[in-house]
Amino acid sequence: MSGGAAGTPKPLPSSGPKSLREMPHPLAPSSSEEMGPALTPSPDLLLPRSIADKDLSLPNGTPVDTSSPASSSSLLNRLQLDDDLDGETRDLFVTVDDPKKHVCTMETYITYRVTTKTTRAEFDLPEYSVRRRYQDFDWLRNKLEESQPTHLIPPLPEKFVVKGVVDRFSEEFVETRRKALDKFLKRITDHPVLSFNEHFNVFLTAKDLNAYKKQGMALLSKVGESVKYVTGGYKLRSRPLEFAAIGEYLDTFSLKLGTIDRIAQRIIKEQLEYLVELREYGPVYSTWGGLEVELSEPLEGVSACIGNCCTALEELSEDMTEDFLPVLREYILYSESMKNVLKKRDQVQAEYEAKLEAVALKKEDRPKVPTDVETCQDRVECFNADLKADMERWQNNKRQDFRQLLMGMADKNIQYYEKCLTAWESIIPLLQDKPETK
Amino acid sequence: MESAEAEPSDSRPEEDGAAPCSGLPPPEQPGATMEECLAKKMEITVSEAEKRTGRNAMNMQETYTAYLIETRVVESQSEGQCAPVDSLWRRYSEFELLRNYLSVTYPHIVVPPLPEKRADFVWHKLSADNMDPDFVERRRIGLENFLLRVASHPVLCQDKIFYSFLTQEGGWKEMVNETGFQLKADSRLKALNATFRVKNPDKRFTELKHYSDELQSVISHLLRVRARVADRLYGVYKVHGNYGRVFSEWSAIEKEMGDGLQSAGHHMDVYAASIDDILEEEEHYADQLKEYLFYAEALRAVCRKHELMQYDLEMAAQDLTSKKQQCEELATGTVRTFSLKGMTSKLFGQETPEQREAKIKVLEEQIQEGEEQLKSKNLEGRDFVKSAWADIERFKEQKNHDLKEALISYAVMQISMCKKVCLACERPGCCICRLTGDQMQTFNN
Repeated sequence: MSGGAAGTPKPLPSSGPKSLREMPHPLAPSSSEEMGPALTPSPDLLLPRSIADKDLSLPNGTPVDTSSPASSSSLLNRLQLDDDLDGETRDLFVTVDDPKKHVCTMETYITYRVTTKTTRAEFDLPEYSVRRRYQDFDWLRNKLEESQPTHLIPPLPEKFVVKGVVDRFSEEFVETRRKALDKFLKRITDHPVLSFNEHFNVFLTAKDLNAYKKQGMALLSKVGESVKYVTGGYKLRSRPLEFAAIGEYLDTFSLKLGTIDRIAQRIIKEQLEYLVELREYGPVYSTWGGLEVELSEPLEGVSACIGNCCTALEELSEDMTEDFLPVLREYILYSESMKNVLKKRDQVQAEYEAKLEAVALKKEDRPKVPTDVETCQDRVECFNADLKADMERWQNNKRQDFRQLLMGMADKNIQYYEKCLTAWESIIPLLQDKPETK
Repeated sequence: MESAEAEPSDSRPEEDGAAPCSGLPPPEQPGATMEECLAKKMEITVSEAEKRTGRNAMNMQETYTAYLIETRVVESQSEGQCAPVDSLWRRYSEFELLRNYLSVTYPHIVVPPLPEKRADFVWHKLSADNMDPDFVERRRIGLENFLLRVASHPVLCQDKIFYSFLTQEGGWKEMVNETGFQLKADSRLKALNATFRVKNPDKRFTELKHYSDELQSVISHLLRVRARVADRLYGVYKVHGNYGRVFSEWSAIEKEMGDGLQSAGHHMDVYAASIDDILEEEEHYADQLKEYLFYAEALRAVCRKHELMQYDLEMAAQDLTSKKQQCEELATGTVRTFSLKGMTSKLFGQETPEQREAKIKVLEEQIQEGEEQLKSKNLEGRDFVKSAWADIERFKEQKNHDLKEALISYAVMQISMCKKVCLACERPGCCICRLTGDQMQTFNN
């Protein structure tokens, strides 16, 4: 079921004759997510996407127009069925892999392969593969922020490593970043509006992204005017309660996650120190074993067993660093993006309120409310609707991610203890055998 | 694990007779005198410790801990008969005196060691304070173990002084001092002297001495590293406790995830708190190792004694040969070695034959005496080696058995700890199930 293509009346530009039936095939292997029961998405579910898409492609595109309140409500519908439909409605799959180091005279950098498989009509080909570097991802994110200010844009991994100690080209660092970049693109892909963004399309498909970037620069200066908001100066008369609550929620949320992140890092540090001691502890038994005759075997056994525990602990620490920390980081950054969107929303509302006030002053002059105030009001409403939808989406994702994260963490811990358990159990017969043979 | 040893009830000795509450395996004695062992005839427990204040010899105020020793005579194996429990108080210094007495009186025996005087090889959370209740409790167990070890030793258990240590509160110290055991004690210096001068050391004892040195160093290294491991493990667990608070604070702002996070936080708290028990249990294992660390010293004392005897023997033999030589010189009139005597005789003329005869007679007497002495020393030495080696063999067997038991209980402890954590994670109602449960609920709605 390839949603976007089926819903739009637009003819497929180049890959038109390609039958839709064979399209899903290239996608099948990459859809590693749950394959739920085959549910057919209703056409109205897909409609808002195509509307959004069409509006987006308008050259002057004031992005606030992109989603009408109607589209958001059906978005809500879609979100409620999210868990079931995710696997089915997906028609765009993006992966980031194969990092490569490039050494030039000017600079050294890493590029990542971005592979796209899709059945969407907006793409000329069903499959793309391009190489992008961090800068390009950064560019994409900025573009998305500019062109979809009402939406929550997923965060990118930090540009610079906080502590200069980490080697930017080390295997672990590159792998962690690759995972984060992959997650970033997957989040956009899953988003009903962002995934149809024109810049995103270009990012996935363009052979020469730099050329497009230059061209876009000129265009932006024009569009930029309309996107700009009045900054500061106005105080909101009444910030809707729900957004105030979201703001407060985000503050606490990011605070708590920050604490958890710090705790996790300390645990990893403590574990590594524990590991150092444990590595010394095991061999002492072995030394002792060398002194003894009858006890030699049991002592060697204990030594080997502690060695096994060391290996298990090492794995646990690695898993924590590779799986646990990045998710925390992503959500900390996510809440920052969220706060930014909230700020923008406040600005739009402020603008609207200011205009309303101005009109109220001149009320005697003009009997009718001018149209620009009305569009302004629309903008606020659209913004609110988009934001609410995104927030809900985000909450849903968050719940799933953290469930998975905590379960994974508990699972890894259990695995660690089970490994130790097996190690210790295996030496019991070694210790018991001797008295029996006596 | 026994922690509170408050009341010495009558029911206690029954369980203790079978398995000493120390957690240490009951010392098993291979040997013929098994039935004679005091341990079989008497139940011995150190059931209580009490802090006391008194005046010492210098009339200074001092605080010390006294331990209540309870004994009960087992009248044959007839059931139902319950002999009255005798009890008396002893302090650590009296235990020390007892052990000193035993090790001097029985130099050929690997005398069981006392628990440490001061807490050693501790990790930071453990107090090194002598009055710390945990330390006192562990020492109580150690002292009880010491008494049981002595009482079940085939030779030591028959000692009168030991018996009165258990049964006679007053006048015991005087009684020990009357034995004059201190006079028999060898000075360290003499022992050290012997170590360097012995010409023909017994290979077996040299090896044993070498072994006890190595054993001591490896166990003390082990204990040191273990203390550090415990320190780190404590850190790992306790940092998890920080999760508890954050999770529960976080849960306050979440709707669907709230309960799950709350219980995840609770789970973390439980996990963090579990380390206290784990490490407390591990301390018993450390105590078992410590006992053998001190045993190594006892082993070395036996070796030292042997060296000393060997040295004495060699000295006596040397003395004898020199006297024999002198005698020969006098008899033949030749002076083989340049000596003062030779000089004087040259300077002041020859002695009269009578004088010479008398001298030779004295020397001959001395030689005979020396020969007898040497003979008895030889005999004594052989006896010592024989009995010492028998006890060393006994000790080796005991050591192998005990340490194996200790390692098993250590492994079992680790296993139960792992199992506890795994079970806690899989138990319904834990964080994971809650979170999954939430998910199920949203599906159902």
